[in-house]
Amino acid sequence: MFPRLRALVRALMARRAFEAGLTEELRFHIEQYTEDLVRSGVSPEEARRRARMELGGINTVKEECREARGLGGFDALERECRYAARQLWRNPGFTGTVVLTLALAIGANSAIFSLVNALLLNELPYTHPERIGTLYARTSGPQSSDTRRTIDGEQWERLREDVPALLTAVSAMRTSGANVRAGSVVQYVRAGRVSAQYFDVLVLHPVIGRTFSEDEDRPQGPRTAILGYALWQSAFGGNPNALGQAVLLKGEPHTIIGVLPEGATTPLNADVYTALQPGREGEGQAANFVAIMRLRDGPTWQQADAELNQALSGTARARRFASTNSGAQLTYYAVALQKAATDTLRPQVLALVLAAGFILLIACANIAGLTLVRMLRRTSEVTIRLALGASRWQIQRQMWIEHLLLACVGGAVGLGVGFLALRGLLQLLPEHFLPVATVPLDSRVLGFTLSLSLLTCILSGVLPVVATKNVDLRSSVGGRGVIGGASVRLRQLLIAGEVALTVVLLAATGLLIRTLIGLQTIPPGFNPTGVITAKASLDDIRYHDPAAFRKLLTESLTAMREIPGVQGAAVGLTLPYERALLNAVTLSAGKEAGQQVTTNQVYVTPQYFETLQIPVLAGRTFSDADSPDAQPVVIVNQTFARKFFHQENPVGRYLNKNVRIVGVVADTVLSSEARLNAGTAPLTREETIYLPAAQVVDAKLLSLVHGFFQPSWIVRTASPMGVPAQMQRALASADPQLPVSGFYYVKDLMAATLATQRIGVALLAAISSLALLLSAVGIFALVANIVAQRTREIGIRMALGSTIRKTMIQVGRTGVGASAMGLALGLILCVGVLPAMRSVLYGVGVYDAPTMLAVVLTLCAVTLLATTPILRVAHIDPAQTLREE
Amino acid sequence: MLILKAVSLKPLHGYGVLLRIRQISGNALAIPQGSLYPALYRLEHQGLIAPEWGQSENNRRAKYYTLTGAGRRRLREEAAGWNRLASAIAAALRATSEEV
Repeated sequence: MFPRLRALVRALMARRAFEAGLTEELRFHIEQYTEDLVRSGVSPEEARRRARMELGGINTVKEECREARGLGGFDALERECRYAARQLWRNPGFTGTVVLTLALAIGANSAIFSLVNALLLNELPYTHPERIGTLYARTSGPQSSDTRRTIDGEQWERLREDVPALLTAVSAMRTSGANVRAGSVVQYVRAGRVSAQYFDVLVLHPVIGRTFSEDEDRPQGPRTAILGYALWQSAFGGNPNALGQAVLLKGEPHTIIGVLPEGATTPLNADVYTALQPGREGEGQAANFVAIMRLRDGPTWQQADAELNQALSGTARARRFASTNSGAQLTYYAVALQKAATDTLRPQVLALVLAAGFILLIACANIAGLTLVRMLRRTSEVTIRLALGASRWQIQRQMWIEHLLLACVGGAVGLGVGFLALRGLLQLLPEHFLPVATVPLDSRVLGFTLSLSLLTCILSGVLPVVATKNVDLRSSVGGRGVIGGASVRLRQLLIAGEVALTVVLLAATGLLIRTLIGLQTIPPGFNPTGVITAKASLDDIRYHDPAAFRKLLTESLTAMREIPGVQGAAVGLTLPYERALLNAVTLSAGKEAGQQVTTNQVYVTPQYFETLQIPVLAGRTFSDADSPDAQPVVIVNQTFARKFFHQENPVGRYLNKNVRIVGVVADTVLSSEARLNAGTAPLTREETIYLPAAQVVDAKLLSLVHGFFQPSWIVRTASPMGVPAQMQRALASADPQLPVSGFYYVKDLMAATLATQRIGVALLAAISSLALLLSAVGIFALVANIVAQRTREIGIRMALGSTIRKTMIQVGRTGVGASAMGLALGLILCVGVLPAMRSVLYGVGVYDAPTMLAVVLTLCAVTLLATTPILRVAHIDPAQTLREE
Repeated sequence: MLILKAVSLKPLHGYGVLLRIRQISGNALAIPQGSLYPALYRLEHQGLIAPEWGQSENNRRAKYYTLTGAGRRRLREEAAGWNRLASAIAAALRATSEEV
């Protein structure tokens, strides 16, 4: 940086010295010559005059000297830049509009590019990220798919033993909230469970200690923990003595064996890691593990894929697939972790990039239109310069320089706008929404913005520059530069293009808004108002005992029911709007008797249905009489009843041979997050069965589900003020050491579930409003310009008997015509583009009539608003305009 | 070439170059004053002459030009070229009709 700056300063200094030297040298020449002339008898005055005359114009000489020095080009450039800046400064309206347009367009683009950069272009923060992969499977047949796969215990064994080309490891699917107690400090942290070699796959070496050994990773192996750097600092003050000490995690002591380096992250992104201890039992029975793998030195990914497929094709899961999908092919293969991690976000981000690109094109069209007018207005200036001997190249260069200057200023302001937009956007996103920690504004973003500025400069500059080519010296001299019909048509075409792109954006936004409204207004199947909820982690050894679990529920709920104003209190494993546990049940009646089906399962306490006000359609709800020793019972929802019992009444029937169905309740909406079948709406109604919490007596099952889910305590109250604190006190009276995750209103859960949709809608809405605004500015400028330029013509028309109304229509028609042309073009574009959105639309067709109607109406309204400059026609006084001639 | 020759005799300032050329050409050749300085700067830019600030005869600061090595070489080449051309033209003018 500094040497370059010094060189610049030196060049400037040298330049000043050069000028001074030149002046002094010439003055010396003149004085010497004058003296000689005086000596030869000429009068001093005459001598001075002659000396000057013979040298010629001092400035011309100086200029020639500068040119002789080889820096003439630079001087000319500097002069032209200065001239351009002066020109732009003198036209604040034009300059302001262009810079603002550029700033908004470039800002939107650089903000979105920053996201692309962080998500798709920047490498993951691991050593040789291109050698890290994860597991995908492709199926052929009637239900073909190609998605990331999780694996079960048996598959993991095969992966570990039979794929020599890869170093493999597995982790739990997500972190779980847990309390960690180190000494006297208790913290709520994200705990992640990973297998041995997980950190070797990522090439992460602990700053102190070691990673999990094979022995610690066996089921029932010793309990050990690896701390993240931040937790080590906060809980142990960075003391290396922490190694070997025990922390209480999920109620059990774990020995600390290592600490990860500062800033180290994993795909799991946890604060503390424990050994996964994967086996075929418990969670290993289902596909609950996420695999990551590193390609060893030597083999290629092709070899690894072949080995992977070979190893996994013999597993029970693959055989089951083959038996239920005859003729279909299941192929396992590896996909780079980077691609896999951004898989779900990629289409959304790319759609945004496309939308932002539209904005840029619209901005370019606007600027081209504005510049065109400016160029035509400057026809007389151009003519004079041509007449004075300027070459066409010089004039064009001047225009390019003005454009470049505008693009640079616009780009710089745009970068600022982009930075602000990005900050706003990141604040909008929920925590841990993006798979990256930060979205930096790095050199790549800067480079992108710079090239974008140049691109806009070229895109918007070509047209006006080409237009000035046609300036004809003879016809323009003395002319008044009346705006020609050809240029108006050109601008109309530009505006039609803008409007077409705007229509596509508006239609896309409209469809997304319709989708969101549809999702938000799905009847939830319960009454969310006035329900407060809090989650607590029961992933704790103390609650693996079903009796202790029952005691906690009873005591805490009894305490909560005593809170004044509370109408009901209950506990459920999950709530509506959330994802639920998927588990298999065996049907015992009807045509499908004996068949195992996977369904959502929720354990609930008595009063769950009353507290949420879920309507009971048949039978009864649970009561305290449904105890562990009583007849096992379940309640099914309407979808379950309809799907498996058809028209018959399921009450009194049995599931799993001996579990009696005692009631049917209305459907509630569930989040379909993490569902395997992609393409479903984010909120669905699915078959669900409810079982009494008291009848969950399997300790293993209890510890398993509490590893996945934190149960929710819910309270219905008419006056929510102060209730959370009292709920916390009630919970603490049952167990003072139970951490609570925080309190929510149940109606906020819906917002959280739909966060992704909301952000998509917000972003696209912002972009299409910008497009609409820019198009409106374009139409406005066109009409305003025509009014201003044709004042004389309008004056004559009115003098000849045209009414104000007729003239207004005549002038306004250009703007409206352009807009109508754009609308037609846009609707045609929609036919081609919108079907690509099908995967993100729920409950609304691609060609949705109300949406299209809304788009057309919006555009009409905006077009009419943008043609308001025709009102100025009313103020044109024919007599005055004619007199001005 | 004339400037180079003028400067080759002794370091000169611009005005001096003008006078010297007039002197050595026996007042036959006069360089237009306006084109002298651009020519000097061009030669300086080409590295044929080197400027240096010094005192003039009447004790004023003036810029003196000296011939550089490259300038000397160029002068030699140009002089040789000029001589070749001049003798060729002289030979041509001496020619009589029989020789054609």
